[in-house]
Amino acid sequence: MERKEKMRKIIKIAGSALVVLVTLWLLQRLLIPKYVDDVVEGAFIAEYYGEEKDFDVIFIGDCEVYENFSPAVLWQEYGINSYIRGSAQQYIWQSYYLLEDTLRYEVPEVLVFNVLSLQYNESQREAYNRMTLEGMEWSLPKVKAILASMKPEEEFLDYVFPILRYHSRWSELTGADVQYLFDKKQVSHNGYYMRVDVKAAGDVPGGRVLGDYNFGEKAWEYLDKMRKLCDEKGIQLVLVKAPSIYPYWYPEWEDQVEEYAAEHGLRYLNFLELREETGIDYDTDTYDGGLHMNLSGAEKLSRYLGRMLSEELGVPDRRGEEALAGRWEAKLAAYEAEKQAQYAYYDMEEP
Amino acid sequence: MTGEMRNQAGRTEGIVGAERAVGRISYRGRGAGLRIAGSASLFAACLFLVTACSQEEKVVNGSVQNLPAEEGSGEEIGTANMAGGGDNADDGQAVDGTGTDGGETAADSGKGYTFVYQGVTVEIDADAAPILDQLGEPVSYFEAASCAFDGLDKMYTYHGFELDTYPDGDKDYVSGVILKDDSVLTAEGIGIGDTREELEQAYPGEGAGAGQEENGMLVYEKDGMKLCFILQEDEIISIEYRSTVLED
Repeated sequence: MERKEKMRKIIKIAGSALVVLVTLWLLQRLLIPKYVDDVVEGAFIAEYYGEEKDFDVIFIGDCEVYENFSPAVLWQEYGINSYIRGSAQQYIWQSYYLLEDTLRYEVPEVLVFNVLSLQYNESQREAYNRMTLEGMEWSLPKVKAILASMKPEEEFLDYVFPILRYHSRWSELTGADVQYLFDKKQVSHNGYYMRVDVKAAGDVPGGRVLGDYNFGEKAWEYLDKMRKLCDEKGIQLVLVKAPSIYPYWYPEWEDQVEEYAAEHGLRYLNFLELREETGIDYDTDTYDGGLHMNLSGAEKLSRYLGRMLSEELGVPDRRGEEALAGRWEAKLAAYEAEKQAQYAYYDMEEP
Repeated sequence: MTGEMRNQAGRTEGIVGAERAVGRISYRGRGAGLRIAGSASLFAACLFLVTACSQEEKVVNGSVQNLPAEEGSGEEIGTANMAGGGDNADDGQAVDGTGTDGGETAADSGKGYTFVYQGVTVEIDADAAPILDQLGEPVSYFEAASCAFDGLDKMYTYHGFELDTYPDGDKDYVSGVILKDDSVLTAEGIGIGDTREELEQAYPGEGAGAGQEENGMLVYEKDGMKLCFILQEDEIISIEYRSTVLED
């Protein structure tokens, strides 16, 4: 009888604890931002985990990869299966740990890394940290990425329990927070963020004078780590600078990257210097005055890069693989649908 | 369609909107084990929640909600600031600044180092609209949307200097002023081409008020803004007023 009473007590306590936990879990899911309406960039990193992971080419970097290269074109024209693991102002240490994270699942033949983030030697904003780090699945690389990224005022526990960070967000909740409580809509195309609209580049300011043009020690350290990890895994590392004309890319920065690439035998493509070869036209191929490429610009860059990946680096054409081709058929349909939706939204004719 | 289409200019709301947006997404049905572990760990979160909720909301970064809105501290704004003696920088003449007393002060709380151009006082983190109105038509204008952030950073170039703004909600605020040549001076009378000695005489601060070396610059911090000088062989080659709001 006494034992029965004890059991009942234990069940009651366990039940109460369970209710509290479930409530907190639901609250956390409700309060965390969903990145589906306006600032969708925060959703890109997590989308990778829902993919069949056998990509031959992985892009890693900031907006200069996820807005400037289209995996759909690489597939359509070269049969290259690729994915972009990029997010807004993704710092190089985050890119490195995303590479480690990717290697938990697959080993690509080529890693394309955009060098703009070398300019940062420390994280600039917590918001950018969150957009990259919170999308990562829990793993050792994620823990290391958080520790490498946190600003002094940030707490590791806030990443473990996001509800601690967002508990006051209740007053800003929208319908989307309820609609996407348990699942979310796809917002990228293999990590590519599509924009079809056009805003020509106008007067772009030159670079302001800097006190020190040398990339920082931490930036170099992580580029070295990335290179060594690629070497170890037999991955060909390709460095790129996207053709974005703002923020300003200083000649002093260019010299450092060129020197590094030459010293280590890496391919380095500065698309700012390949305007003629790629056909980039800053009147028609950018949606924000030269900062990022629009669809037209991204497709041009992808054609140029695809040819190099295919012909010079030997990345295979996999269009003959039935299962993969089937997956891409669905992806291309979504790509085309969004393209048309955006043309309609911006009241544009498809070029 | 990817999210709601943003307007053609890019982002619309102001950086606070984006700061609010930071967060994580669901794990899309994967990792039941992880979820169970996560749920268990939430038990511990109860304890933290109690603590966290009982304290003031932590402002982690970048929010510009707390822009310096207080009215003048009474600190005197220096005279300024165009080299020479003309009255119009645009014709290449140097003009004595009028400082607080003589000039129109679009935004003048007396905080931080200020830049004065043709009697218009430009204060870092001040509402940009009245300042821009008084400065008149810029020589050139450029706007840029930060990645994933709402609103536009704007750059207005005038003869001799550039004024930059950042958005917050419906308004733009001054994020920086960059002196481009020696036709304009700081309120304390320092311009590009001056020497380190002249600089140190004009800014004789001690302790916290003294210039600090930071990324190759000599930086004077005051009331949450920075006045940065870059020197090359003891000659000033760059002068920049900067907000620290966006550094947080």
